[in-house]
Amino acid sequence: MKDRRMFVFELVRGAAAIAVALAVGTIFIFLSSDEPLNALRYLLIGPLVSMKGGLASFNTQGFYTILAAMIPTIFTGLAVCVMFSSNQFNLAGEGIVMAGGFVAALAGIYIHMNTGWHAVICVLIAAALGGAIMLIPALLKVKLGASEMVTSLMLNYVCMYVVLHFLNYNFADRSKGSTQTYAFADTAKIGALVPGGSKLTWGFVAALVFVVIIGLLMYRTRWGYAIRMIGINQAFSKYSGMKVGGTIVLAQVIGGVLSGIGGGVEVLGRYSTFLWKELPGYGWTGITIAILAKNNPLLVPLAAFFIAYLNKGCQLMATYCDVPSEMIDIIQAAIFLFFAAEQFLSGYRQKIVVKNTRADLAKAAASVEGGAE
Amino acid sequence: MEQNDLVVQMKGITKVYPNGIAANQSVDFSVRQGEIHALMGENGAGKSTLMKMLFGLEQPTEGEIVVNGEKVSLSSPTVAIAHGIGMVHQHFMLVPSLTVAENIVLGMVPKKSGMFIDFKKAIELTKEYSERFNLAVNPDAKVVDIPVGMKQKVEILKALIRGAKILILDEPTAVLTTQETTELFRELIHLKEQGYTIIFISHKLNEIKQITDRLTIMRGGKCMGVYETASITEQEISRLMVGRDVILDVQKDEAQPTDVVLKVRDLHYTNEWNKKMLDGVSFDVRKGEILGIAGVEGNGQRELVDMLFDLSEPDAGTATVNGKDVINASQARIRAMGVSLVPEDRMTYGIAEAATIEENLISDRFEEKRFNNGPLFNMKAIHAESDRLIADYTVLCKSRKQKVKMLSGGNIQKVVVAREFSSDPTLIIADQPTRGIDVGATEFIRKKLVDLSRAGTAVLLVSADLNEVMELSDSLIVLYGGKIAAYFEDTSELDDVVMGEYMLGLKRQSDEEIGRVCHER
Repeated sequence: MKDRRMFVFELVRGAAAIAVALAVGTIFIFLSSDEPLNALRYLLIGPLVSMKGGLASFNTQGFYTILAAMIPTIFTGLAVCVMFSSNQFNLAGEGIVMAGGFVAALAGIYIHMNTGWHAVICVLIAAALGGAIMLIPALLKVKLGASEMVTSLMLNYVCMYVVLHFLNYNFADRSKGSTQTYAFADTAKIGALVPGGSKLTWGFVAALVFVVIIGLLMYRTRWGYAIRMIGINQAFSKYSGMKVGGTIVLAQVIGGVLSGIGGGVEVLGRYSTFLWKELPGYGWTGITIAILAKNNPLLVPLAAFFIAYLNKGCQLMATYCDVPSEMIDIIQAAIFLFFAAEQFLSGYRQKIVVKNTRADLAKAAASVEGGAE
Repeated sequence: MEQNDLVVQMKGITKVYPNGIAANQSVDFSVRQGEIHALMGENGAGKSTLMKMLFGLEQPTEGEIVVNGEKVSLSSPTVAIAHGIGMVHQHFMLVPSLTVAENIVLGMVPKKSGMFIDFKKAIELTKEYSERFNLAVNPDAKVVDIPVGMKQKVEILKALIRGAKILILDEPTAVLTTQETTELFRELIHLKEQGYTIIFISHKLNEIKQITDRLTIMRGGKCMGVYETASITEQEISRLMVGRDVILDVQKDEAQPTDVVLKVRDLHYTNEWNKKMLDGVSFDVRKGEILGIAGVEGNGQRELVDMLFDLSEPDAGTATVNGKDVINASQARIRAMGVSLVPEDRMTYGIAEAATIEENLISDRFEEKRFNNGPLFNMKAIHAESDRLIADYTVLCKSRKQKVKMLSGGNIQKVVVAREFSSDPTLIIADQPTRGIDVGATEFIRKKLVDLSRAGTAVLLVSADLNEVMELSDSLIVLYGGKIAAYFEDTSELDDVVMGEYMLGLKRQSDEEIGRVCHER
């Protein structure tokens, strides 16, 4: 009873945060658009409902597009969940997505294999590189006490410029008009899950498999347990005899591996050459997703879906109406604010607590009287 | 003669904390002008909560507060101080690196030409108040260097200088020796004579009888009544406080100590303020005995325990458990040697608040084979283990999945103790194992400690509760100024006056007498 009330409260709180954020977004839409109602329609239902001649129908292609957009962000969301669970605010996922995508592409171009395993091997190379890169901020933190937030943030740009350097000077296909690599082999491409040219690939299935794997890791293994306990109370974990330094490194390496996979899967699934010239943004989105999911891996797909839906809606709004696409950032920031604000609706929470406690006390008093009689 | 006007009235106060604990339920509390009023109750009865609301640190969920006939809303300590209410906390709120005078004027610093701190004025002010209220302090001394008794006087002066007419003292004698307590009481009576009102929180019966006029007793968050101190006996008070007669002495057979388990030799440690906290401490703890460490807090007990559990490194000295070095070993290694620690700061070291009871119970053993199936946890075994521990240690909870922070202090400590005592330890270090927890849990933990020691575990008990350390220990050492001041092989004929003299540094045994605590060369 009591737990259910608190659970309902958390749901109400989340819904209220989203509602307030959308309200804030609506205000901006009304301020910036001449056709605000039309814009709102695109934002809220556009991604899944297509209008033809006044008839609304479910937009299957739109649905696939949203699912496809979730692929890299599920991986980065999981990565951030693991790292934040250990209380390590590592932000290097962004750079690693790019680096991972790049090496996966190179492996797809320069390794020749005649088997379906080619793509898997490319992604594994990306994963290994991601883990290796994460050793830098992790070891700096554990051995020298350098703030992982600072080092990992800087590392993003190191990753980006190193990738751009090699792309420009060593691996660019000079016959193309823009800077990009040669096309990777067909064997390295990740196959589509549904016919019809959408970007929804087997990567989506892999992402869901990893949701389960990371869920198990965090809640059903000794490593995940240690990661979470260290995140909750490091002094307690050390006193209990856990290997705090090693576990902190492990959490970040896992984060790096997941980010690397995300980059590799995205590049091999969506494109035929590597052509990113700036950070793709999936790492940042992963942070939003992890916060929405409260670091719970099993909630990551939900949060990723929500963000993908919102992104798509804003894109449609910007394409078909006179609302700038930056709107997405405003709405995301507002959601963030209310989700992260611990005190949001705390008065309401306190009322529930008082009510619960009253009920408990009354029950206790009743049982005492009952016993006395 | 007696003035009947009430300076403080708290009516129908209810307080529910965000964790759902109803610390106060419809409590009525009032204090007369110029009296010393005791607020009594066991730990967790809700005394501190009530006083925190009177001092503006917490807001009541329900009820009203009337000060000097005026209904007030005490939204912060600043407001409370403006209404003439001052509080001296159990744990002093002083800046150790500043002088006494600087601490006293903190936040109301006298200025020279509107810009610079007038240190001279601060010292004069301190001296003036110190003389007026007969509270002797040394204005130039750094707070880190002064004894606990003087720190308390500094706290009282701080409140008085800010215009407090009503003083709340939260367990002021808890950290004092017998002699310092006597001195404090003289000063409090002096304040009372000058018209000040004092609210005195305590659960020590003899002290209450000694200096208070009236008393209010609380139990389980409720008010159990208000009495004239002269018209109620200690036995009656005790019954009202705990609802039954307290059994203070612990039943135990005589110890049969055998081999030395913990061997500490010549430990030295100097802290970050360059104060020597441990100065050549040597002792042994044997299998089957409880060795107590008594002493006023801050005389090296915490540092000693930290050394033994690798929470800090000594400057010199050795410590071994069954011949194995513990100074340079990690906590994992120390635990593997069979050492358990009930830490003093249970909220920092003992538990992970936001984790479940189950997760807290397995933190030292989750890597053991019996709890793992290959890479995955064996959840069945883990559930069985936690259910067993919850039952064995009578942890009051809804289920093993409940968050530890939802439990009461006594049950949180039971979670810590359940984990530490159940790992089949060869040595248990129990640091303030019953501080701040209810009588039931206290009795339970004490009994477990005795049982374990009689079953062959070596126990090192560190406690600032004189009663506890004297009742529970088989033998006892007193720490004073980082040195062992006394060793008593048999605790049965000790009395607290003698102990007080050693704890205060008035007396010290000869090196030869102290050396007897090292049973092995």
